[in-house]
This record gives sequence, C-alpha cells and structure tokens, in this order.
Amino acid sequence: MGTDRYDVVVVGAGLSGLVAAGAAAHRKQKVALVATGPGSFVNGTGWLKAQEILRASEAPDLREAIAFFCELARLAGCPFAGDISTARSLPAVLGDFQSVALAPLTLWNAEPRDGVSSAIVGVRGLSCFDENFMAERLTERARLMSSGCTYTARQICLSRDMGVPVTTLRIAQCFDCDPVFRAELLYALWAAASGFKRILVPGMLGLNSSAEQIAEFERELGCPVCEIPTLPPSIPGLRIFHRLESYLHQSGVELYRGFPVEQVEIHDGLCTGLRVGSPGHPLHLCCQSAVLATGRRSASPLGEEYAGCDQQMRPLTSTGSVMARNLFIAGPLSNSDVENHGNVLHILTGYRAGNLAASIRENHAAR
Amino acid sequence: MRLDDFAIDNCLKCSLCNTVCPVLAVHTRYPGPKRLGPELERLRREGISTDTEWVEYCLGCHRCDLVCPHQVNVSEMIARAKAENRKPLIRGLRDWWFARPGLLGRLTTILPTLSNFALSLKPARFLMSKLMQITPQRKFPSYARPNLRSPMMTGKESQRVVFFPGCFIRNNRPDLGRVVIGLLERSGLAAEVASTECCGVPAMANGAAAEARAVARANVRALAQQVDAGLRIVTACSSCGHMLKTGFGGVLEDDKEFAGTAQKIASRTFDLAELLRSLSDAGKLNVNFQPTSLRLAYHAPCHQKSQGIGRPWYHLLRMIPGVSVEDLDAGCCGMSGTYGFKQEKYAVSMEIGKELFASISAAQPQMVVTECATCQMQIEHGTTFKAVHPAEILLQAYDERRCG
Repeated sequence: MGTDRYDVVVVGAGLSGLVAAGAAAHRKQKVALVATGPGSFVNGTGWLKAQEILRASEAPDLREAIAFFCELARLAGCPFAGDISTARSLPAVLGDFQSVALAPLTLWNAEPRDGVSSAIVGVRGLSCFDENFMAERLTERARLMSSGCTYTARQICLSRDMGVPVTTLRIAQCFDCDPVFRAELLYALWAAASGFKRILVPGMLGLNSSAEQIAEFERELGCPVCEIPTLPPSIPGLRIFHRLESYLHQSGVELYRGFPVEQVEIHDGLCTGLRVGSPGHPLHLCCQSAVLATGRRSASPLGEEYAGCDQQMRPLTSTGSVMARNLFIAGPLSNSDVENHGNVLHILTGYRAGNLAASIRENHAAR
Repeated sequence: MRLDDFAIDNCLKCSLCNTVCPVLAVHTRYPGPKRLGPELERLRREGISTDTEWVEYCLGCHRCDLVCPHQVNVSEMIARAKAENRKPLIRGLRDWWFARPGLLGRLTTILPTLSNFALSLKPARFLMSKLMQITPQRKFPSYARPNLRSPMMTGKESQRVVFFPGCFIRNNRPDLGRVVIGLLERSGLAAEVASTECCGVPAMANGAAAEARAVARANVRALAQQVDAGLRIVTACSSCGHMLKTGFGGVLEDDKEFAGTAQKIASRTFDLAELLRSLSDAGKLNVNFQPTSLRLAYHAPCHQKSQGIGRPWYHLLRMIPGVSVEDLDAGCCGMSGTYGFKQEKYAVSMEIGKELFASISAAQPQMVVTECATCQMQIEHGTTFKAVHPAEILLQAYDERRCG
C-alpha cells in the first residue's frame, strides 16, 4: 500500500474544501486535496447572496473569512468585488434580479444603472438561453423598479458548425483555444452591441479565462460585456473552480482527483490518516490533521455515528463526544439546517476548518 | 458490472463529464460522454437499438469517470456499447488485429529486423492505409527480439516480486524491461518476469470483449500461483497497471472460476513508481542518486491518473539532486494506444494532442518523461522532443558519476 504524508488533508473540492486547503496552504502547511469532481457550486453563478451574508452576520469571523476568500480568488485570477454590508442587484437567466453582496468582478457589469440601455445577446441554436424571454422580463422588472433601464434582445449567428444543440460549453472551449473563433465572436458581438451602452451574453467566455483576459476581450469590443450564468455546467462557476484549483496546485497543494475517501482512520480520538478508494488497493494518506468537506450528497466517511460538529468544527457522535480532536468539518456537513446553506456558509466553515487544521501542526511544532 | 445497474441512477446530468472529455473539446459533432454513456445506456438496457459509430471515438481515457461527483462509470458503459457496435468490414478487420497486439508481436518478432524493415517501407504504409485504413502518417514502433528473461534468483523469498511486462515491453522494448528489473534490484527487490502476454486494454479499446476475457483468463492463470504465494506484481506500463488493478476492466466479474483471483491480482498490483515511493516512505529505497542538471517535463498518462495513486513518478524524479521536473498537466495526449493509428481518427488524435504539444514547447525541456509507450510515440510525433520512460532516467541517476 502506498503512503503519502501530509500536514493537512482536505477532502472535497467544493467551495469549503478549496477555501480550507487555501487557508492551510497559506499557513505553510503541506496540504493534499482529495476529491471526486468539483462541488456543486460550479452549477451556479459564484455569487454570495446578500441573504446568505445576513444569515451568517452573527459570526465574528465573517469579515475575515470573506476577506481571505477574496484574496484567494484575486490571486487565482478570478477576483470578486462587492461588500458584505451592501446588497446590490444582478440579473439572472430567468429574467429576475437577485440581491447580491459579492460576485466575480466580471459579472458586475450587468448591474442595473439609471437609464442604461442593454442588449441581451443570444446565440442562434444555443440551448438554455432565451434572450427574448430575458429581455421582456427584465424590462418589465426595470419598469416596476422605475430604474429607466431598457433591455433589448439581439441574436448573433456563428458561421462555423457548433454541433446540435450549441452549448455554452462548446462556445467556451472554442473561446479558450481558438483565436480565430474569438475574433469571429468579437466581431459578431461588436455588431450586435451597436447602439447599446453594454451587452449581456450567456456565460460562455472561456472555461479558464482570467478576469484580465475577459477585460482584454471587453477592451477590444469597446463596450462593457457581462455574462449571465446559464444551466449546468455554468461556465462562470466552472471557471472559478478551475482557477482556484489550479492556483492551489501551483502553491504546492497536491491534488488527488477521482476517488472518494472510504475511511477515516481514528485511533484514541486522533485522526491518523485516510484511505482513498483507488482501484485495486486503497491509497493511504497520512496526516497531522484533516478537514472533511465532502458535502451531504456523498456518503460521509464518518458513517452513521456522525451527528454534527461543535464550535471548534470537530465531529461529534450522537452522545456529544468528540470523534477526533484533529479532524474538522466544513461545508454542508457542518450544518444540518438545509435552509442555512449557501456559498457564504461554505466559505466561512472552510476558512475556520482550514485554519484550525493548520494550527494543530503549528502547535505541535511550537511544543 | 452488475453492481453498476444502480450507477446509472446516480447520473444527475450535471454534464461535468462533458467538460473534461478530450474528444468533445475538439470534435463538434461528438455527442460526448453524458449522451453516449448514461443517457443512451438507458435505451440500450431496454433493448432499444442505439447503434452509433460515435462510441468508436471514445478514447477510454477515463477522465469522465474521474470527474463524476457520483462515481458513475461512464466510460465502462461506452466500452460495453463499443463491444456491441457493428463495424464496416475493413475497419472490423483492422480492429481485429489491433485488439491482438500479443499475436501481432509474436508474429513480427520471429524475424524482427525484417518486420521493422517491411513496416517502414513507404509502399507498405501506403498499402496499409488503403487496405486497412491505418494512417500512413505514423511510424510503427519497432519490434525487438523478445529476449526479456528473469534474472538469476538469489534473494530471499520476501524480496521477490513479479514483473508484468505487457506486450509492448516484451515485444518492442525488452531493454526497458531490463531497466525496470535493474531499478528494482537497486533497492533489493528481485523481479521475475511473468509469463503473461497482453493485458487486454487494446482488446477492450477495440471492442473485442471475448478477446479481452480470453487474455484476462490467460493472465489470471499465469499469475495465480505467484499471487497466492503473496508476491506483489509490478507494472511499468500505465495501461497494464490500470487493467490489472481494475480486475481486467471488470471483464471477469461474472466468471466464478476467475473473479476471485482477478480480485487478488488487483489488490497485489503496484505501479513501479508507486512501489518505489512506498519503499522510499519506509526508508528502504536506495537513494544513492548522483547529481545531474537534467531539465525534464513530466506528462502523466490518463491510465496513470485513473489508478488514483497521486504522482509517484513526479516525486521520485525530484529526488535526484539537481534535476528539474515540470509537471505539464496538459490533458490527454490523444494517442490512446491504437486509436491514433486509425486513419479516420488521426486528425482528432492530433487535435487533442495540441495542448500537450504546446505546453512541451513552452517548457523547452531536454526530454519529456512519461511512462506510457503510446504517449511517448505521440509526443515524438507531434513535437521535436524526445520522450522516455521515467525509469530510464532514474536508473541512469544511480550511475551518473560513472558517465561524468
């Protein structure tokens, strides 16, 4: 059996797992991240909703955790903008406005401003995006809010064969690797944007593009452009995942992709390692501390015994005793209240768990 | 595989498999793993015909399986559909040969020099492209005299391991086989060469299910005694390793006689680097590496990633003092064994490789290292860089002083 040794092993690559791994890595720990696919936040927009901020507002470390996440995202090339104390509006794909506190920088262009005319540009043959429906609904909403914003539907037609149906994934892939395609898209959007102050397009501007690359595209277009995230896979959501994961990897976090953790080894109240269900025989990861951020849809490697976590994010049994002193819970697993979920909670618990896990080794070293 | 009757219900249509499929990224009309796997599988299970040539375009890279948050075995579903798919006569004939590299190797290695000469002739390649639809753009790997033998056994019982060479090392690169044996020897392990043939990956990839089962059974018979004696099996080819560790791709799961031993083989199989890494963790690896200033770029083959063992070669190579290793992490090379040799798939194969080729050009290494033989072929075909097996670098590192 192979054994790899780490200071901190994080299980799960959703928002909480990525933040936990980032927090531990920033504290100079040797970190491994084990995950089967990304977390479900890639299906969404990446927004931190104002409502979620409100729910978490009593947490003393909220501001610190959000600041850390914003720093992580900035370093990864997908900066967030906004403020936890201000709620602003952003349009969504179903033609309604959502109350948002923080969002990826590139999505803020869509914020309704007084009297601004916007074109909502669809792509012919594209599934999951209806520019007419969106324009009609948003115009009506804007009228009710008397913001003076207008929305007009436009459609572009791409000359190359994009398959049937056209998907945002296909467009994003071409955007990433084909400069000729990018030029064609730019020209088509430029023509559609004529007479408007800004354009709103389906989320499709690359699976990996940095905010800087999108800004460059915008400069060439000569008009603010904003993406509206669509059905899964949401390209802006996936992009955040790709960039965060790749940043962590570059900062020395070892990635173990593809196989679930089957067993958490606990001896005398201490977690000594994890077994990953690789084919043939398990892979053994040895650790000083671990963070479980597996989400609630995957089977919990702690089994039936697990009944929630304490203030220190440590797992508890149904009788209230701590399962392991160096094991920390993050993400949806840490909170049984389904209502209380959302990106904010995941960032908050990920940040706490990552720091607590890192402090185990640090205390060890200090002693 | 019967267990996976439930796996299909785990598919939530999140499309993450589509986001990592190398073929979908370059081929507009390819329906993608979600459609060819779980979606059409529902119809296939109802006995509704879904004949589609597209299943032939699946690389078998397993990237879809690895990204699935719910462990749906997407590529296995496609592989089964491939086995059911009826091909036109010429492609069928070609794929019959491609599914049997062991047989091909036995024939060509009778007179390797003559075979290599014949295979390299332009008219021969032209004829093969016309008659067999094998692309004339690629060179066949050269065959060697199959002279890989077990070294004399002197070690104690506990230090013995079994080396599974697979068809490529046996028929094309017996010298690499000796490198592997030499490397194990340096750390006190005596490797005996298993009397096995092909692992069965080419048979699976070419839709020859019966052949895959036949070679799997032959391999189980050949290895049974050694695994029963508690010996570990070592592979140096990532596809062989993948096949052995997955119980020969699950082809023997329904086979009462063989399933148990196949499972035992799976649990006793180690990738060469995985084994050396575990020796290193236990402080038993000979780390007497001599300094070198080599600048390497490492490409992890898909079947290495599908073994779920981390990056043992990357870390081992970095133990050589003075060496620099860059992990390219640039996706699939596009070769996928016999796939890249098929005339109708050559263009797709090269298009997929572009990202890797570009990352190699950007890294400007002295050499590319990768443990898969066909990844090496693709890299040398698509770039001007030499590609070698990491074992060759590691063994050399013991002797660096002698050279310099």
